[in-house]
Parts: sequence; C-alpha cells; structure tokens
Amino acid sequence: MTHHTPEARKTAPKKLPKVGIYGLTGCAGDQLTIVNCEDQILDIFGCAEIRSFLMAMSNNTEDEMDVALVEGSVSSKGDLAMLQDIRKRAKVLIAIGGCAVNGGPQSGKALDNNWKERVKQVYGDMKFSIPESLEPKPLSAYVKVDLAIPGCPIDKWEFLRTLGRLVKGDGPIIAKYPVCVECKYNENECLLFKSELCLGPVTVAGCNSVCVNNNVACMGCRGPVAEANMAGEVEMLVKMKHPHYPDRKQFDYDDVVNKAMMFGGSPMVELLEKAKGAKK
Amino acid sequence: MREIKVEHLARVEGHGAITVELEGKKVKKVNLEVLEGPRLFETITLGKLPSENLSIVPRICAICTLSHKYASLRGLEKCLDIKVPEKTRMLRSLMLHGEAVESHALHVALLALPDLLGYPNAVAMTDKYAEYVIRGLTLKKYGNKVMEVVSARATHGENPIIGGFGRFPTNDELYALKDQVKSLIPMACSLIELIGPMKFPVWLDEETQFACLNPVVKKEYGLVGDSILISDGTELDVEDYKKLTNERVVPHSYAKRSLYKEKPYTVGSIARINILGDKLKGRAKDYYTRYSSVRWKRNPIFNNMAQAIELLYALEKIPSLVDKIVSLKDPAVVKPGRDTGKGTGAVEAPRGTLFHSYEVKNGRMSKVDIITPTAQNLEDIERYLGITAQYMLDKGEKDDAIKNQLEIVARAYDPCVSCSAHLVNVIRK
Repeated sequence: MTHHTPEARKTAPKKLPKVGIYGLTGCAGDQLTIVNCEDQILDIFGCAEIRSFLMAMSNNTEDEMDVALVEGSVSSKGDLAMLQDIRKRAKVLIAIGGCAVNGGPQSGKALDNNWKERVKQVYGDMKFSIPESLEPKPLSAYVKVDLAIPGCPIDKWEFLRTLGRLVKGDGPIIAKYPVCVECKYNENECLLFKSELCLGPVTVAGCNSVCVNNNVACMGCRGPVAEANMAGEVEMLVKMKHPHYPDRKQFDYDDVVNKAMMFGGSPMVELLEKAKGAKK
Repeated sequence: MREIKVEHLARVEGHGAITVELEGKKVKKVNLEVLEGPRLFETITLGKLPSENLSIVPRICAICTLSHKYASLRGLEKCLDIKVPEKTRMLRSLMLHGEAVESHALHVALLALPDLLGYPNAVAMTDKYAEYVIRGLTLKKYGNKVMEVVSARATHGENPIIGGFGRFPTNDELYALKDQVKSLIPMACSLIELIGPMKFPVWLDEETQFACLNPVVKKEYGLVGDSILISDGTELDVEDYKKLTNERVVPHSYAKRSLYKEKPYTVGSIARINILGDKLKGRAKDYYTRYSSVRWKRNPIFNNMAQAIELLYALEKIPSLVDKIVSLKDPAVVKPGRDTGKGTGAVEAPRGTLFHSYEVKNGRMSKVDIITPTAQNLEDIERYLGITAQYMLDKGEKDDAIKNQLEIVARAYDPCVSCSAHLVNVIRK
C-alpha cells in the first residue's frame, strides 16, 4: 500500500482500492465524521470502491479488501469475531478513533479490572442470548493494526488527508507531537499556568487544540502521544500549588488518574504504571 | 420452527439485528437484537467530577452528542444548584436546534428517503434524485455548522461547560448562521413536498401511546422541558421519569426496555408532532395542517414526515434565537451553589425524550441513570415489526422481501443503537 517513489506510484494498480468501513462497540462518531464530509463524500465514493459501509448503505459486499477502517472497541465476543474476520480479509487495517485506538471511555475503569462485577451491577443475573460481553479493549489487543487515526472523534481533515494519501499510494502522516505544539501556534495562554488540569502535554495533536482555543482544558480525548512523558505530567500536576492557598496542593494523584483515564484507555494504564515512581 | 433474520440492520447508527421466529405461518416472536457491546457508562463516571461526567456521557452517541450534553448539563446544574442566565440558555437551545437539523437531514434525506424511493442508499439515488441528495447534504452541513459554532466541534464539542460556555460565539459567527437559513428553507420544504403526498401502507396502522416533554415556554413548540406529556393526558414532573419508563432487562439485548402502563410507547419527532403540533408556527404549521392526519398516530412510517416538518421548524426557529442571543451580553460562568445534591435533566433529542438523572456527593458523581429515546422505542419497534412480518407472510412474500420491509419499518424510527445499548440503573457507591 505504501509507495513513496514516483516509480512505485506508476506501477500502483489503476483499479480503485476496495475499502470497507466498520464499527464495533462505540458511539459511531468516527463513521459519522466520514458521513459529515458533506463536500467530499461523493468524491470519497468516487476515489475508492466502498464495498461495505453498514451505517450508510444496504447491499454490502463482504470479501477481500485493500483497506478496512474500523471504529469502536472490542467489547463482546461478537465484536471480536467480526474484527478477526475483517483482519483476514483486509490487506491494511486502520483503527479509526479513540475506542479502536485506545479502548475509549468504556475502558476508563480498566485499572480496576472488575468488568464482570460491573456488568452484574447493571444487568443483574440475566443470562443473555446474544454474544458475551468483554472488558472493552482497543483493536491492537487482538489483531495487528497497520495504522491508527486517533481522535474522539477523528478529525475530518486528518482523515481526508490520510485517505487521500493512501488511495494515491502514499504513506500517511499522523502527528508525533503533543497538542501543546498546536496550542502554541494558536497563541493560547497556557492553562497549566492558570492551575488547570490540562492533558495537552501528553496528548497526541491533530485537533488544532480546539478545546484550549475555547478556554477548556485538554482532557486527552485523542489519547497519549508517542513517548508521552506521563511521569513528568504527573509530577508537575501533583506539585502544583493551589492558586489562592499556596500551602495547599491543587491536585492529588487520583485527580490526575481520573482525568487521564477518561479517554486514555489501555496505553494510559501502561503509562500510569510507569509513572508510579513520580506519584509522591 | 423457522427463523427470518436480518443479520445487520443497515443505515442506522450502531449494531442491530432483527430476528423473527415463525411457527408455520404465524409469527411467534420478534426480537430487535442490540448487538453493541455494553459500555457501562453509568459506572464509568462514578467517583469522577461532574465536569468529567459532562465530557464522557455525550460519547454514548455521536449523533445525539449535544442532546446528551444538554440533558447532562440540566441534570448536573440541578445537583449543583446552578441557574444559568438567559444568553446561556438560548445558546444551548440554538445548539439543540442545530443538532435537530443535522440529525433529521441525515435521516430523512440520506437514510430513509432511499427506502421511500426504492434505492439501496443515497449515493445510488443520485441518478434521478441528485438534487435531493445535495439538499440533504447541504442541510446536514448547516446543522453541523451550528453545532460547530456553539460547541466548537460538529461531534463531541467541549465548549458547553457547567455554568455556561468556555467561549461565547461572536455576533458575527451567529449572524452568519442566521443569514444562511433563508436559502435552506426551500430545501426543507422540497423534502416535505416530496414525502408528503406519498402513500404509506395501511396494514401497518395500529394505535400506540406517545410521550414528549412539555416545552418550557408553554405556548411554543420546543425541545426542552421540565415535565413530560403523555398521550393519555398524564403530565409528570421529569423527576418522576421512572413512572413513564419502567425499565427492565431482556435476554436478547444489552439495551433495557420500557413499558408505560404495561404497553409500548413511542418518543421522537412523531410523538412531539402528534402532541405539540398545534403549537407550530410559520411554514412548518402550514405543512402540518396540510399533511397531518389521524394515521400519524398509528403508523411509524410517518415519523419520516414528522422529522421533515421538525427540520423546517428548527430552521425557522434559528433566526429568532440568534436575534435574541446577540442582544444579550456574554455572562460569566456561574459557579456551583453546593457540592452535594440530586437532579434529573431532560431534553428532546432528535429521536425523543432523553433523561439524565444524577446524584453528586461532595463534588463527585455518586449516582448516574441515563435513559435514551431508542431504548424507550424498542418495544414499539418490535411490535410494528411483528405486524409487518405477519402481513408479509400472509401475503406469501419471500424472505428477502420480508427482510427489506422489516428494515424499512425499523429505520423509520431512526433507531440509535449505540444510545440504546449504553445501560442504566447503577447501584450507589
């Protein structure tokens, strides 16, 4: 799929790439973001052969495909069977959105490891006739994922850029730097200086720092950036002094974990594990 | 025993399937299976801050994201004893109307219209009905634009916060929204005029019950209220929402089920139009008067028409909301009056009445109960699917034709499977 040189591009197949768009358990916001490309959707259907897109079409064809875009977390045995089937049929599997990439908000209690108990709290002892539920996990917990497009939901422009490059045989560009970089470009006043719990330093960019542009602290909805220094973030936040009472702390460790686990999912569990040294 | 199964319900949000169990020529049972895995949303936010709850719960559903945001705000602000000023309320109302435009345009023009015209999807419709596809996309884009201006993103925008907004949109941004409406109204009218004269099957007709919120401004049609109106004449305070919803668990679904007085009921556009239609104004009222009939109370396919009329209602409402908003000064964010309390907030989401009921203890979430429109509609959807399957069998139709018709009926409800399969009723910590 990835052809970087002009020669390679010439030899790339002329036939339209076959694409399938799928959703496991989630809010469907990433598929909706694709449907929300009102000015481009007819072009999307023109530049690729969309074989399956259950949210938008009937008469879907389920066979071999060049690219599968999958949103949602694996949250039931049905999800898992579907994902494994898609993986078998797809040359390239792309995880789209926070649930597929990190596990999503539904994996926010992954640290507690008490899924079955919580299911019981909600549904009682009901014996379900539908596939058994699983602790929600990202796609990469079960299959090889070739590319991750982060975001809750994915950013429309990042998606279009990536799809455009892929159908032309080029490699994708996904940010490897944190939201703070975009935030500085946007000349926002740093919310950490205003004693707010902002996850910008550890969150992957690509949203154009939309929340901070609106005076709202980053809640990490795009998930951790590559090589996120969570230990540094934790240390900075737990040492932060209360703006009006300098003898008090502004945040304790649990405040940071609560916020980091809103969208951080499995990767954040690992990062927090590593950051434990910085707890005190 | 034989089964007819629609494995994957297409052109709806989320993951659903329909199973019809037959004994000879009789339909024994119809299940709308919700295959979305459970996400246990109400357990996720326990122990977190109200502001964190406010950002997590809209992720239940992308299409109704701002309805969840607004219902959550109404519930949380009751808990925290916050009363927001008029400008904040009006802006929130604006975002809700924007979401109605977006959601209804998507469903009416792009997901349901292919059914009514006999196409597999909206792209295929471009051979003869390209202008309707373009209009649908244009209307949808506008709805998204309203949501972007107010909430900062088309989906899961974080600008609405407890007590107000992170940033109030500028008057220029708001006027731009108002200016666009004029060119969009004829598009909404054309959709109504296309669907209005269509004939829908009489065999599906059967009475049901309806429920929606009583609008805050009693004389007007609206999407926000503090009490519930039911078609039997009952009015309930939203705090008593459980008297309407009476939820229970069923084995074939991770969505809980609701019955009112032991019978299914319907929420959504068709419920609102049937209960509040006389309060409509302008061209929406003209079309309502021209097309509505007693059959709208019996046949869910008319929900498509009710959505088209609401789409026009929302477009006609937006300019007056903008005029009011720009005349008011940007207020400061209102701070909580207490850190312990309880309260239920409700709004009319595009698909119907949405309840968020909370308890906050010492500034942390201690109880969360969320009841979504689609969860309330599931019983009625199954009932109408049963009628459909039996009729088609009696007519001697083949399985493929039966499946197709089942999907059309389910789709008319615009079901949102993600919403239905978040779950409910959580034990106190």
